[in-house]
Amino acid sequence: MKKILLLLLAAFTFSGCEKDDICTDETTPQLVIEFYDVSNPTTLKNVAGLKITGDGMPTELNTFSGVSTIKLPLDVTGDSVKYSMILNSSSPTNANEDFLQFNYARNNVYVSRACGYRTIFELNSPGGVIHTDSATPDLLWIQSFDVQTTTIDTENEIHLKIYF
Amino acid sequence: MLLVWLSFSGNAQEKAPIAKDSLKPKTERYGLRVGVDLFKLTRSFYEEDYRGIELVGDYRLTRKHFLAAEIGNEDKTVDEDQLNFTTEGTYIKVGFDYNTYQNWLDMENIISVGLRYGVSSFSQTLNSYQIYNPNPYFGQSPLIISGEKFSGLSAQWVEVVAGMKAEVFNNVFVGFSFRLNRLMTQNKPNGFDNLYIPGYNRTYNGEFGVGFNYTVSYFIPLYKATVKAKEKKEPKSKKKKKKAN
Repeated sequence: MKKILLLLLAAFTFSGCEKDDICTDETTPQLVIEFYDVSNPTTLKNVAGLKITGDGMPTELNTFSGVSTIKLPLDVTGDSVKYSMILNSSSPTNANEDFLQFNYARNNVYVSRACGYRTIFELNSPGGVIHTDSATPDLLWIQSFDVQTTTIDTENEIHLKIYF
Repeated sequence: MLLVWLSFSGNAQEKAPIAKDSLKPKTERYGLRVGVDLFKLTRSFYEEDYRGIELVGDYRLTRKHFLAAEIGNEDKTVDEDQLNFTTEGTYIKVGFDYNTYQNWLDMENIISVGLRYGVSSFSQTLNSYQIYNPNPYFGQSPLIISGEKFSGLSAQWVEVVAGMKAEVFNNVFVGFSFRLNRLMTQNKPNGFDNLYIPGYNRTYNGEFGVGFNYTVSYFIPLYKATVKAKEKKEPKSKKKKKKAN
């Protein structure tokens, strides 16, 4: 009887530890962008060779191909990030660079013991997303964009729609 | 034959019907026992981030039931990977213990199960925290020093207690107990959580907790009561059998 009680106690102790020592909750979200066809604005359109690099960053974030949804991390230590977005980056003739700058306010909110805190973002309104051409003008490949929500606190929704 | 009878009655005093003979009626002592939790006290010395004291007491109500209470104060700093915080507060637990142990002769040892209701009033100070960022393309945020204090917090819980106490010498008892806690209500801070509650200890998901104490206590006898023998009406044939022995 005593042994059973001790075992039960041990089981309770460890079942308790396991759960909340590993961070499994959703933490700092990324900005979610969906790409649409400008000639048919309700149809998703896949990007090809979209090379994305943070302005002033030594390495690219990623090159996206064959996807219509991408996620861009925001800076948890600053209030703005600027991304260089080169479409058809593998082609020497068709490559086209546009810049997107995101301006936002940050708020740190408590998550859990294992995760600590996370940062959620609120895009400035207006001026949350600023679209510019590259230094050497090569026309804009992004025809237009549409901010869906200025509050970025989950990756389960689309924050920005881009038409090209 | 007398010897056999004596030893028999000694072993199973409660069960054996007391014969009308020269045996003295059994008395048991009732009183108040007060003590201190050595576990918390020693932890205060060897653990730099912990300071705590707990006073324990129980009062014998019936042969088997004890009114029991603990009162304490804790100040604990917890350093997690993502968080560092200090909890400081006072608690009181009140309930009862039920002694399941059949003592021999005039021993007063206790193996008990019991229940407590605990109430704690405390404050938490968030010393520092980290931002959890799974996509650190622009780098991780440095440790953020906060120092924000959340006051006026409270919690209430129920404990199931299993413990034992043994009399080591005259009126001095040592004992320990294990506790399983179930949080009933709590007043959570806005923008943080009660990750440690004085008296309840660490909180887990699912609102269960565990506790332990190691006590040394002193029994103050107040009065004595005669143990009433249970009147058992046994069939005559059985009685005859015993006498035949």
